[in-house]
Amino acid sequence: MNDQVRIVRFNIFDRLFHVFIMVTFLLQAVTGMGRLLYTTGWGKFVVSLFGGYTGATTVHNRVGVLMIIGFVVHIVYVLGKVEWKSWRQSLFDADSVVPRRADVVHLGQKVRWFFGLGPPPAFDRWTYWEKFDYWAVFWGLPLLGFTGLMLMYPLATSSIMPGWMLNVLVLFHRAEALLAMLYIFIIHFTIGHLRRGMFPMNECMFAGSVDLEKEKEEKPLWIARLQEAGRLEQVMVPGPPRWYRVMYFIFGYLAVGVGLYLLLNLIIYRSYVEWH
Amino acid sequence: MHLRRLLRKAALQIFLGLLGVMFLWPAAAPAQEEVTSAIRRYKERELSTGYYEEYEVKPRRQRPFVGVPEVLRRHPSVTSYRPRAALEPRTRSRLEDSHAGIQFYEHRHCEECHVKEAKHSHTTRGNLTCRQCHGAEPIAGINSYYSPMNPIRRHAYVCSKCHEGANTSFATFMVHEPKAGDAATRKTFASLYYSNWFMYLLIVGTLAFFGLHTLIWVGKESYHAIREKMKPEPEPEPKPEPEPELKAESPPEKPEPKPQEEAPPEKPEPKEPENE
Repeated sequence: MNDQVRIVRFNIFDRLFHVFIMVTFLLQAVTGMGRLLYTTGWGKFVVSLFGGYTGATTVHNRVGVLMIIGFVVHIVYVLGKVEWKSWRQSLFDADSVVPRRADVVHLGQKVRWFFGLGPPPAFDRWTYWEKFDYWAVFWGLPLLGFTGLMLMYPLATSSIMPGWMLNVLVLFHRAEALLAMLYIFIIHFTIGHLRRGMFPMNECMFAGSVDLEKEKEEKPLWIARLQEAGRLEQVMVPGPPRWYRVMYFIFGYLAVGVGLYLLLNLIIYRSYVEWH
Repeated sequence: MHLRRLLRKAALQIFLGLLGVMFLWPAAAPAQEEVTSAIRRYKERELSTGYYEEYEVKPRRQRPFVGVPEVLRRHPSVTSYRPRAALEPRTRSRLEDSHAGIQFYEHRHCEECHVKEAKHSHTTRGNLTCRQCHGAEPIAGINSYYSPMNPIRRHAYVCSKCHEGANTSFATFMVHEPKAGDAATRKTFASLYYSNWFMYLLIVGTLAFFGLHTLIWVGKESYHAIREKMKPEPEPEPKPEPEPELKAESPPEKPEPKPQEEAPPEKPEPKEPENE
């Protein structure tokens, strides 16, 4: 790894936000799914790790509030990143995760490539699926956060809307959580770990840096942009130290393990789930 | 002259006629007014009863509650005004002993007949029994006037036993909610039905799109990698390539990074350091 030329992709805040969402998301998934499947023996076991049904609920609620706070902090951080004097360019240039027309073009090229009808797309810094990963959290977290907060305070909620809305909110909360879990445990894990060329793990979200040679293949426009600006040397960094790699490999595979464990049990006990 | 007299006579007759109408038009009796203006004047009381059959008077121009969509929409169970209900004394939900006349009632369990009703979150998670909400024998129908389950007092007599401070709105939470996916739910709980469809399409759409996308992607990458690996074996290639997996992810027809029209590399340089 240390013979590679590596360039920076994520700064320390990006990586911390990712670790934060990993830990909180998995905690919510475990406490949520344990209670969702409380009628099964497995659900009772999972819930018992948190001190029973009410204990799991408490953990779920508090971690949920923590996630909302983290989300607000993230929004403040992101707003601080935008160059407001030239906001249009800052928001829509290639270094931003805001969707652009190029993403649609890339998707089209990718689909063409799938069927052998053309070359694969040359990506810039963020590919469209990476942008989707980001914005999926951005829609999911507020939805889960708002519905979760309202379900946490049902009396206050029913004073501003009819009480039967709680039935609907439960449905929304569970369905969105299901979507988030299935997306992360199936698609995100596959893209991040299982994909050829990524296996055993896409380390950039932990290491913060990527192999230049590899990125020349996958994201040539980004590298070309850096070269043109003469900043390629500026963003070169040494690779992560060995102990750190060992740490994040363990951490990452722990997360994958928890996710797949939950997914497996969700599949096994799917008939016991009440979706609302 | 003659015409003038005729006109005067006609005017006088019209005036007298109107006067007569004014006196002879039936005045609004106070009792009638009580009902016709009940929405405004007795709003609280009317919203909270739901039992009008015997003491009400006939409305004069409009039926008291049926025509008030707002009230109906928000409190469907509370304000279901059905004059004919008085003629249907055997509606079990209105009986003081809802199980009156059922043979061998003493030897039966609730869930033998109320199969669906026995399974809901209040029993499976809250560990409640039927009688903790529906009361002791004889179990009154939920719309019986003296039932603790009557919407008049359900919030105070039933819900607030656990949910301190429950109000009428809170009490409209459907404990025995219909299955969101059932066709009949479109009539009985439309918002749940349509929310379910919305989330269903969102989940299936997202997972179908990205699932297929990932599947084809992984498959194609593996296919190319395997083909790359297979190729050099029959005839020894002159170029030494010890790591096929680095090239593996690029298809054989992989071109050089070609500039995209949407992401021009010559556009102005972002000022932020690279690790944004």
